[in-house]
Amino acid sequence: MNIKITHNWLLDYLDTDAGPYDVQKYLSLSGPSIETVEKIDDDYVYDIEITSNRIDMASVLGIAREAQAILPQYGIKAKIKNNPLEQNGFSRIGNGLSRIENPLKLDIHLKNEGLCSRFMTIVLDNVTIDKAPEFMNRRLTLSGIKSINNVVNISNYLMMTFGQPTHVFDYDKIGAGKMIMRESKAGEKIITLDDKEVTLPGGDIVIEDGSGRLIDLCGIMGGANSAVSENTKRIVLFVQTYNKQKIRRTSMLTGQRTVAATYFEKGLDEERVEPTLACGAKLLEKYASAKIASPLYDIYPQPYRPKQIEINIGEINHKIGVEIPREKIVDILENLGFLVLVGGHHDVSLRVAVPSWRHKDISIKEDIVEEIARIYGYHNLPNILQPIAYVKESKEMEKLFTLQFKVKTFLKHLGLNEVLNYSMISKELIGNFGMETAGHLTLANAMNEELKYMRISLLPSLVKNIKDNQGRSDKLKLFELAKVYIPANSLPEELYKLAIAVDTDYFDLKGIVEALYRELNINFDKFDKSIIRLNSNTRYKLEIKKDVYMVELDFQTLIDNYKILPQYHPINPYSVIKLDLNIQKKEGTDFAKIKKIAYQTSKLLTNIEFVSVFQNKLTFRFYFNSPERNITEEEAKEELEKINSQLH
Amino acid sequence: MDNLPNLHQQAINEINNLTSLKDLEFLQIKYLGRNGIVNDLLQKIKDIPDEQKKAYGSKVNRLKSEIGKAVEDKRKTLIANADSQQKTDLTLPGKPYPKGSLHLISIAVEEISRIFEKIGFIRVSYPEVEWEFFSFDALNMPPEHPARDDFEATFIDFPKDPKYGKMVLTPHTSSGQIREMWRLKNPPIRMINIAKCYRPNWDPTHTPMFYQFEGLCVDKDINITNLKGTLDYFAKEYFGPNREIRLRPYHFQFTEPSFEVDVTCDVCGGSGWVGAKRASPVQKCKVCKSGWLELGGTGMVHPNVLKAGNIDSQEYSGWAFGFGIERVIMMKYGIDDIRYYYNGDIRFLKQF
Repeated sequence: MNIKITHNWLLDYLDTDAGPYDVQKYLSLSGPSIETVEKIDDDYVYDIEITSNRIDMASVLGIAREAQAILPQYGIKAKIKNNPLEQNGFSRIGNGLSRIENPLKLDIHLKNEGLCSRFMTIVLDNVTIDKAPEFMNRRLTLSGIKSINNVVNISNYLMMTFGQPTHVFDYDKIGAGKMIMRESKAGEKIITLDDKEVTLPGGDIVIEDGSGRLIDLCGIMGGANSAVSENTKRIVLFVQTYNKQKIRRTSMLTGQRTVAATYFEKGLDEERVEPTLACGAKLLEKYASAKIASPLYDIYPQPYRPKQIEINIGEINHKIGVEIPREKIVDILENLGFLVLVGGHHDVSLRVAVPSWRHKDISIKEDIVEEIARIYGYHNLPNILQPIAYVKESKEMEKLFTLQFKVKTFLKHLGLNEVLNYSMISKELIGNFGMETAGHLTLANAMNEELKYMRISLLPSLVKNIKDNQGRSDKLKLFELAKVYIPANSLPEELYKLAIAVDTDYFDLKGIVEALYRELNINFDKFDKSIIRLNSNTRYKLEIKKDVYMVELDFQTLIDNYKILPQYHPINPYSVIKLDLNIQKKEGTDFAKIKKIAYQTSKLLTNIEFVSVFQNKLTFRFYFNSPERNITEEEAKEELEKINSQLH
Repeated sequence: MDNLPNLHQQAINEINNLTSLKDLEFLQIKYLGRNGIVNDLLQKIKDIPDEQKKAYGSKVNRLKSEIGKAVEDKRKTLIANADSQQKTDLTLPGKPYPKGSLHLISIAVEEISRIFEKIGFIRVSYPEVEWEFFSFDALNMPPEHPARDDFEATFIDFPKDPKYGKMVLTPHTSSGQIREMWRLKNPPIRMINIAKCYRPNWDPTHTPMFYQFEGLCVDKDINITNLKGTLDYFAKEYFGPNREIRLRPYHFQFTEPSFEVDVTCDVCGGSGWVGAKRASPVQKCKVCKSGWLELGGTGMVHPNVLKAGNIDSQEYSGWAFGFGIERVIMMKYGIDDIRYYYNGDIRFLKQF
């Protein structure tokens, strides 16, 4: 997530000489990434990326804390001032609370456990709804938050200052002051502040006012029925921390991605609830003339207990790779809000207490190492390649990769174009091939129908490629080398296939496959039947103008039969006699048969070439040769005659 | 004997008229060959009266040497002409040979594999359809982690495995980390895993299928400086010798500390500004953020990940990174029309 805060706002809590561009440069290197700084009037707006583990930084105070740790590393003064965590607490106004006459009451029930880790609220009376002070409006506007009125703006101002969203109800719109926090039932409806009717998936955190009426979709947005309006006199200031998984789920399922939800779904610091509420009461008193009118309600089932981590200096330096002095380590940690308690051990060991706002993020030694290393500055670490080590590669993998590239490159040189398609296809594509979806792995949460079934063949995609590319090229010759996913009892078998599709002719494709086999020194013979022509039904259905021929080869079979070198034959020094023969085409006689008969008939025959076909005559060229002596033309002619007679 | 001068003239005429070396060869054989006209005349010396034999012989020999000389002269002329008299239009195109294409991804995969091979990293391949255990649990991503929900990961409709959980299309190559640790059993590990990954995102900068390459190094005494050294090596090898890298703090579950890596921008030379200082106004570089381009995520392997790989995290440490191949292609070659990568458009594919 990204947040926007302004430089002047930051200076409310940070005593520093740093200019806004210094803050951007140095914080980006060692802390949150400040993507832009924009000057607007007399202020500067920071646009800051907050990683999901550091929601504690998503506030003015959070950024001030980072600046306090980072800027001194670059020789720039930076110290937190007016710390709002220290200056806001109910302990101070506790006496005031007890003196309230006829206090207003809330009747709070938490029906389900585990929804809310801290629930704190208070009622304020005598509220004047008005415009908010100008400085607050401006800062919120610059932060990208719409300015509404003093009460709502204070609520948002608290969120940006503390990183803790708050909510304000109109007390008089809540039936009998009753609040029941519970899980929603599926199908329950609430109209939220933005006037949208949201149907709840069920299991969402909601508040009901006792009459079955929902008044709050907790952590996401309040209900319209209990919203503050210009006539509001009494309000409920509401500060909570919620179960983060539930907030994310509701927010994603309902599509209500509110700013509050992006905070709550990351898990907030329960210890910050109280200062936020106290500061809120103070601001409402100051800018909306509000008076506290109820007891303080605080439901906090498992109060925070500080965590300590032990780590020694040697370990820190070993993991980082340089020597960082002990004093510097301690400085860094303290500026970040950690307490460094030097344990009963020797000097080399540190015991570090984690501040509450880092409680969910810091749990092991490596987390401490990260804090030290990043503040010390990754750019201050040298670049050192680790020593070379020999690791044995599996022969299968090595062959797979070597041959993949060889085959791809070879096909490219033959003039083919490589495509890569999605591994998932649609029911329609599968159907085009006369296949059923049943034999495919199916995505449980497919994005759409186009990408729903894991391919068991590459051909449907290639045919689609041919169709899509009609008119873009006279001839299409495409190949893809990719995995198919064959369902099994456990993980599917992931098999590499090589598929080729052309819209030229059968012999073009056959020639390509023959050439590939020659390149790989594989004796080929039996793939004729695996070349298929796209059946006419599908072709016309897909409106493909030309015949499509295709083949899908099992890549592992190619790997298994591949030889780096072919069988070597010593050079035969004796003469080769070439003779042509015309053969009349006959029913039931094909080249394969002619070849078979010819080789059976003549021992001197070494090769047959197909020369041409004219009308009903096929011309072949026969090569005769002996490994032992020179043969004469007469001998060769006799051999040819023997063959010829066998063929009739 | 009287026809010898005619014969001489006849040979000279023929030589003058012929235009090719091949014809000259034939002529030479016809007159001067073993069974040629001149030899034939020499054979006939036995029919010549004795007193004329000598004169006859010398005349024939003169004829022979004159024709021989004429042939040699002609040969020289023809050879000289062969170089100067070229009548073909040489600006016509050559004979066409087919030019196919490799997919951009195949080219990048090869480049990347070679770069890491040189520093001893071996390439591996692991399942794309994986168990949750390898894609998440073993990578320190607990069941409630947002990256595991239906909005961030694609699941397969298949019964849950009691030990390894649901079947998922792996959203990153990091699932190969545990597989490689299990395969080798003990460090050292030096792995490059390149594979298809899947996430349910489809917008101008994301496709639901994409490629990542994952580096993993586990050994004794591996620290952050080694990760930096390797990334610096890669950036210089792949993008060019003048490139620099930097690490910024980031967050990933499977590394601690975690970083994002940036590489200096080629367009502005890492300054963030383009345009000559005086001639034209200096402008912010449109390609990068203040001189840096984001490469991807990296970090030191989390102890829980080593533990899941049955490696003692007290004795060994490691680093890992996972970068998008489409991303590095875009950064190196500026080809950012990602929607064409996997839609098979020949007008795009055939260019490479």
